[in-house]
Amino acid sequence: MGPGDLEKVLRLLPPSDLGRDILVGLDTPDDAAVYMLDEETALVHTLDFFTPIVDDPFDFGRIAAANSLSDIYAMGGIPLSAMNIVCFPCSLGMDLLAKILEGGLANIRAAGAVLLGGHTVEDAEPKYGLAVTGRVHPERVMTCLGAEAGDVLLLTKPLGTGVLATALKGDFLLEEEMREAIEGMARLNDRASRAAVLAGAHACTDVTGFGLAGHLLNMLSGNGLGCEIEVSRLNLYPHTREMAEMGMIPAGTHRNREFLSPRVEISPRLSEVDRDLVFDPQTSGGLLLALPEKALEVFEREMGEDASWALIGRFIENAEGLVRVLP
Amino acid sequence: MKERVDARGLACPAPVVRTKEALRAGAREIEILVDNPTARDNVCRFASSQGCSSEVFEEEGVFRIAITRGEGAAEAESRPETETRTVVVLSSDVMGRGEDELGRILMKAFLNTLAENDSPPWRVVLFNRGVLLAVEGAEGVEALSNLQCMGVEILVCGTCLDYFKQKERVAVGTVSNMYDILTTMLSATNSVTI
Repeated sequence: MGPGDLEKVLRLLPPSDLGRDILVGLDTPDDAAVYMLDEETALVHTLDFFTPIVDDPFDFGRIAAANSLSDIYAMGGIPLSAMNIVCFPCSLGMDLLAKILEGGLANIRAAGAVLLGGHTVEDAEPKYGLAVTGRVHPERVMTCLGAEAGDVLLLTKPLGTGVLATALKGDFLLEEEMREAIEGMARLNDRASRAAVLAGAHACTDVTGFGLAGHLLNMLSGNGLGCEIEVSRLNLYPHTREMAEMGMIPAGTHRNREFLSPRVEISPRLSEVDRDLVFDPQTSGGLLLALPEKALEVFEREMGEDASWALIGRFIENAEGLVRVLP
Repeated sequence: MKERVDARGLACPAPVVRTKEALRAGAREIEILVDNPTARDNVCRFASSQGCSSEVFEEEGVFRIAITRGEGAAEAESRPETETRTVVVLSSDVMGRGEDELGRILMKAFLNTLAENDSPPWRVVLFNRGVLLAVEGAEGVEALSNLQCMGVEILVCGTCLDYFKQKERVAVGTVSNMYDILTTMLSATNSVTI
């Protein structure tokens, strides 16, 4: 669902009863909810599921699980347990479903969590994902708010999965040509989350359906904070630009741009393709982090060999709370 | 020949796929109907990537896009049958089977001779170990660069470069995908496979 439609519906619900126990609830656009048990422990809750983005069932399972687990990592938490959410047409055969679940389980285990159960509904189109519970110290919760002017903006995975999935659907690209993106989507955000916590990130979220611009706007609280990003610094998965130039732009990009463009100022020097990439909806995208510049060294050390992250911009003082996209 | 395509109600990338099919079938003018701005933008962008011009008319929420095959596209896609489009396919970094050392010498001689030939090929396609001819320091780079200067398009298989972990080291040609490689091979009037 597009960001505009979702906002309209959520407005109808009463706000979370923020008190001693609910640390993060419905009223902020965060990735997961946080419920405090005691002064040492808070639980992080999230769920996410979607339709297949690649043809291989095992890969789809891995990607869907990594995407669900990412919400826990975005809050600075550690996954404890997961439950499968499955919609499946029985006509596709149980072998296929088994492969999806195996893929999911592989990533649940990689995250150090356990699979506790799940629920299955018969449906025309397959869908898969997880409900995940994690834990976090109540004082070490990362949320999407808290960035300060002067902080650097980091993104820990390349962009382009929306364009590539559209190209795959249209047979403009083979699944093996998407291998790097598939492995990227299936990769957990565990290391990036730990590095962010250790480096003392001011704010964190993950990039998914609303694209880089949409999730970045969620980090701007409105009190005079803006952000500048430089397109030339963005890491892209192979073939992304080439496919975008051939018109492989998903409908979600258009929805995102339409809703977000009043708050996104795009340099006229950028090509149409560059503009679209900022709104490209991501599946299992990277963490988006606000980090004090002096903590960059710690972050870099903790990321070790993982070189898929990039410094893509900087938070600035800006009365209108805009995201400024530069070449 | 004017082709009409009704892509109303279709989600991306289907409208682009239908446009591609119509272009490939040889239509010189295509009129395509779509009902959402994403499809409109994508079809126009695809047309321009194929060297075609497009014009959009909006009527009651429906976009009618008139695509005209451009000069460049007409040349690339539907040259007269009499013109030859020779594709040289290099699927290995050696020429012939048996002695690899000899095969490497032969391959170098083959590429040099090809670059000096009066009628150069239309395109050269490199895949499998063939891509190793186009990376930094390889013996094929000079001859391939000469061919490229003569207007020969060199397509280097991206999947293969990834496989050999050589993507960063490509020294000549365009990193390409299976779609372009297949299209090249299908539209060749004759092909030479080494």
